[in-house]
Amino acid sequence: MKKRFYKNIFLISTPGLILLLAVFPIIVFAQGKQAPAASEAGKALYEDKCAHCHGIEGAGDGSAAENLLPRPRDFTRGLYKIRSTESGQLPTDQDLFDIISNGMPGSSMPAWSKILTEDEHWQLVAHIKTFHDGFEGVSPRLIDVSGKVPYSEESVAKGEEFYTTLGCADCHGVIGRGDGTSAPDLTDEWGFRTWPANLWQPWTFRGGATTEDIFKRFIGGIAGSPMPSFISSFRLGLTDDESARMTELEAKMDDHGLSEAEEEEYAALEEKLFMFEDIMLKVEEGEELAPDEHTKLDTALKPIFEKSWHLANYVKSLGPEEQPQAAVGDKVLRSQYRAGALPGMNDEAWNELQNASYFPLVGQIVIDPRQFNPSIDAVTAKSFYNDNEIAFLFTWDDRTKTLPQADDETGETVEDALAIQFPVKISEGPTDPKPYFIWGGRRPVYLWSWKVAEPSTVTEMNAKGIDKATVQSTQGPIQAEGVYKDGQYQLWVKRSLTTEDRNDVQFTPGVFIPIAFSAWDGANGDVKTKRAVSTWYTFVLDPVPSNKRFVYPPLVALISVGLLFGLRSSVRRRENT
Amino acid sequence: MQKLSLFTKCLIIFVVLWVFLRFFIGGVWSVPLPASVISMYLGLILLAILVHVSVEDDRFREFLRPVKETLADDSRRTRRTVLFVLIPLVMLGFTFSKVSTKADPPAALRTAHPAPPDELTYRDKVIGSTQEVENPFRHLEKDDKEAFKVHVDNGRRVYYQNCFYCHGDDLDGEGHFAHGFNPPPANFQDPGIIPNFQESFFFWRISKGGPGLPPAATPWDSAMPVWEDHLTEEEIWDVILFLSEYTGYRPRTFSEAEH
Repeated sequence: MKKRFYKNIFLISTPGLILLLAVFPIIVFAQGKQAPAASEAGKALYEDKCAHCHGIEGAGDGSAAENLLPRPRDFTRGLYKIRSTESGQLPTDQDLFDIISNGMPGSSMPAWSKILTEDEHWQLVAHIKTFHDGFEGVSPRLIDVSGKVPYSEESVAKGEEFYTTLGCADCHGVIGRGDGTSAPDLTDEWGFRTWPANLWQPWTFRGGATTEDIFKRFIGGIAGSPMPSFISSFRLGLTDDESARMTELEAKMDDHGLSEAEEEEYAALEEKLFMFEDIMLKVEEGEELAPDEHTKLDTALKPIFEKSWHLANYVKSLGPEEQPQAAVGDKVLRSQYRAGALPGMNDEAWNELQNASYFPLVGQIVIDPRQFNPSIDAVTAKSFYNDNEIAFLFTWDDRTKTLPQADDETGETVEDALAIQFPVKISEGPTDPKPYFIWGGRRPVYLWSWKVAEPSTVTEMNAKGIDKATVQSTQGPIQAEGVYKDGQYQLWVKRSLTTEDRNDVQFTPGVFIPIAFSAWDGANGDVKTKRAVSTWYTFVLDPVPSNKRFVYPPLVALISVGLLFGLRSSVRRRENT
Repeated sequence: MQKLSLFTKCLIIFVVLWVFLRFFIGGVWSVPLPASVISMYLGLILLAILVHVSVEDDRFREFLRPVKETLADDSRRTRRTVLFVLIPLVMLGFTFSKVSTKADPPAALRTAHPAPPDELTYRDKVIGSTQEVENPFRHLEKDDKEAFKVHVDNGRRVYYQNCFYCHGDDLDGEGHFAHGFNPPPANFQDPGIIPNFQESFFFWRISKGGPGLPPAATPWDSAMPVWEDHLTEEEIWDVILFLSEYTGYRPRTFSEAEH
């Protein structure tokens, strides 16, 4: 009796089990974990940790929002940038969890994984979903990452080709520094300014910098921003040949009309296209697709996905995943000695110096008007010196070249510029005070001021405060050359090591000299005190390795040999007596 | 097994203590000790060993015996030859590495918690003695909870409009500007910060910022702005309330400081 009962249970449950086993992994692994129901705890947590930026009602209008760019997300519209779902769809719960956990690099959204527990993450996910009523009962299509194309030179080359043909450069610039022609005019869905990503700085990619992350942004687009889904750049459902044929027919149509056969051909292609447009519309509306529609769509997407993997590999090839380390400790800037003439701006010799030293910049928020959202993130530097002179090569990324012009908002004349700052008197020892880090105070600083309108001039200045800078009455012979290319400035400066002027800094080999920077991006509204600044760093003219290193060590070795033998003979002598 | 000589024992003790200082204390147990501190300790240890072995004549003779043997005894020829080659070579390498290393950048010294001035001021207005001034809104915590909450909420607004760029969303000193600064912005989640100071100390540091540091706190590398230029007196007291409410740490009070 009992056996029979079990057998029945088995018979009944097997098909169900098989079905469950088939569906279960899809649900669990595709969707990740699901958020619990919204709770009071989640609301309280949100109000304590999130509301100051994202607003009590989730509209992205917290008290901090005004000074932030990118703006905190407005959750009420259901537009989420970083998703694992296809274009036009809502994110999964896991996507929301991941964003809270990892934060958004390059924005003010921190990674909460260090601060909140996993349960608290889920409580927040549940609460954030209450701000938008579209989450109820939708099952978004996930981006299929199974067809990943491994990284190779060949794939990178293909990706580079797509980068050009698809028009990525319009926003992201010819080589990808975010300096495209339309870059200065981009706004998001809310009308706030938005800068295209600088693809050479993967550590600022909001959704992470792995190849998969980049791929997902291509397929899903970045909702609310001008970054479209890659899919919209193609005629979905047509092969490359069919698409080319269609373009050809369209050209013919405009020229002298089509023959009957050609018209039929065109209509067939168009029908195919419309069918996929309908499917895509359904997907975006969140409607359930029929199984055969899923299959058709997957097949049509395949070649686009492959191209996206190539493009992702190309983007991956541009820059390092991690932000370079700042020029302190063993990364400190060391000017290298070079006998004879110092290299000019485009000299190959600069490539001998492997890595440029990296000086991070942040917004100047000490003195009004302040810059809360600097667009210049860092200056890098290399340097050579010889017996009489020192040469520097500075670079910094700027998405726009801005010659002097009136700012749209303030009417003030803005322009791109850089100032390199040294103390007039170099501090002796670590406790000797340096001048105030923003253009000095009671202790003055010495400045090299460079402006884009006069790219071959560096003006010597002294300052005793951020608004107390004066041009030196006698300008020493300083050579300079600045160029802008592909979203990056390069500035070459050469000066003699020592000068007669008491208000100049004097460069002495072996002495650590403080250095700091101020940078202005005219297109970002930078002018006067509103700018990006660094704190003090130091650099050194690396002393020429002394010849003493071939004299002292052998001498010491010889002396120790002598001492040992002396000891030996004295011990022997004493024992013999 | 041969009994260890006194010299070998002393050598072992010395090496073991060096390993303990260099790798256990400075590494496993805590941050690495500065080389100067280690050599000071080793000097003391050496002195102690020498005192120990030279107290009695016999012991000193016993201590020196293996050294003398190695130097003069014919039976120790191999050992002598090896040492006579090895010691000069080590000296050669050591001196070479000392002469040819690059200069290290100066270490950034920092007085983490400078002493505040006697008199607490806001702009040019004297508020009172730094020792005695208390947060004028602190009493509301007991007397009027609603009013207290208004002040804390205002402090929260002030914090996220002005401070969180450097001091971070979670007050942990890891704001999105923090990477640009050295010394790093203060971490209020550190249990050693808020409970150790009176609210008047925070008022002083916030209102006067880096430029207001006393001469003893050179080299004045702090990038902290002078917030009295941007905030009202009330806003500064409110943000101090927020710091303590958010982190759960209470600043010291005057009565505590007295003891």
